[in-house]
Amino acid sequence: MRRALYMFMVCILFSCSDAELVSMQQINNGAKLYETHCSNCHQADGSGLALLIPPLKQSDYLVQNANDLPCIIKKGIQGEISVNGNLYNQKMPANEKLSEKDIMDICLFVLQKFPEKPILMPADSIEKCLHHCLANSH
Amino acid sequence: MKHLIYLTSLLLFIACKQNKSLPILGERSLTSRVVNGETLIDTVYATVPTFSLLNQDADTVTESLVKGKIYVADFFFTSCPTICPIMKREMLRVYEKIKGDPSFVLLSHTIDPAFDSIPLLKDYANRLGSDGKQWQFLTGDREQIYELAEKGYYATAMPDSTEPGGYIHSGGFILVDPKSRVRGIYNGTDSKEVDQLMEDLFILKSEIQ
Repeated sequence: MRRALYMFMVCILFSCSDAELVSMQQINNGAKLYETHCSNCHQADGSGLALLIPPLKQSDYLVQNANDLPCIIKKGIQGEISVNGNLYNQKMPANEKLSEKDIMDICLFVLQKFPEKPILMPADSIEKCLHHCLANSH
Repeated sequence: MKHLIYLTSLLLFIACKQNKSLPILGERSLTSRVVNGETLIDTVYATVPTFSLLNQDADTVTESLVKGKIYVADFFFTSCPTICPIMKREMLRVYEKIKGDPSFVLLSHTIDPAFDSIPLLKDYANRLGSDGKQWQFLTGDREQIYELAEKGYYATAMPDSTEPGGYIHSGGFILVDPKSRVRGIYNGTDSKEVDQLMEDLFILKSEIQ
């Protein structure tokens, strides 16, 4: 019985590709980083705060701007934006101290957790976005 | 016999629960006065000093606004990236609880009056869903606000360039009774403490009725 159980677990382990396992770890790390760096404002459940801080949960803005998310986290955002039909105008501060990897993990977590349908963003496109974003700011 | 002891303890427990009263915080002193040839000793409690600030509608707000009322004070700034949004989420819960009851007022003081202009505070208040009357957003002379925070409400508020956002401040919600005496300080970032505050608001209300 025990042997069967081991076999079963081994099967499960190998049924996930390496890439999926890595991304699970990244999402977990992203969840921790989200709690530290994002949840004060956007709240743990991504609901935002009244009309001051926009929600991430089921946010149309997040889905439409998923490709810019790494850059928004890195550089912050200023000016009016429309989220789910409401206008928000609170400045989001930059997070210059976060490493490229940490930003990547936060993106993976946020895009997995908050949209109605999880968005899978390939790691290289996040990297590209970050480089593009840094190049633009200099 | 055993049952009797249990019953008595239970009764005592219930009796104590119902008579819960809130402490009066701050230094106190004694004064004596002579009435009909007898010397009486009175306790004088610390009170929040008088103040003159402006609210989000540019109206002057002084201690007379909260005279005879129970109020909660806190300190924040609109561009604060750390604890303020959590404090405001919690204060919003308190606001929902007391809305429409004229016994209560909430006063949120900005500690960054240079940046938090009156129109900015007005916008902030609107976006939070405050009516601007029962929950007011106050600004004014920076030194006056810091002194009020420290001496009146036992809170910390000062610029600190090492902090994200540029200020250090305590996340306390300060409960003040109708005689301007501080009756409790609660951590405004902790939902459980804010639950306690919401209970204590009504304990204080029953005290004055």
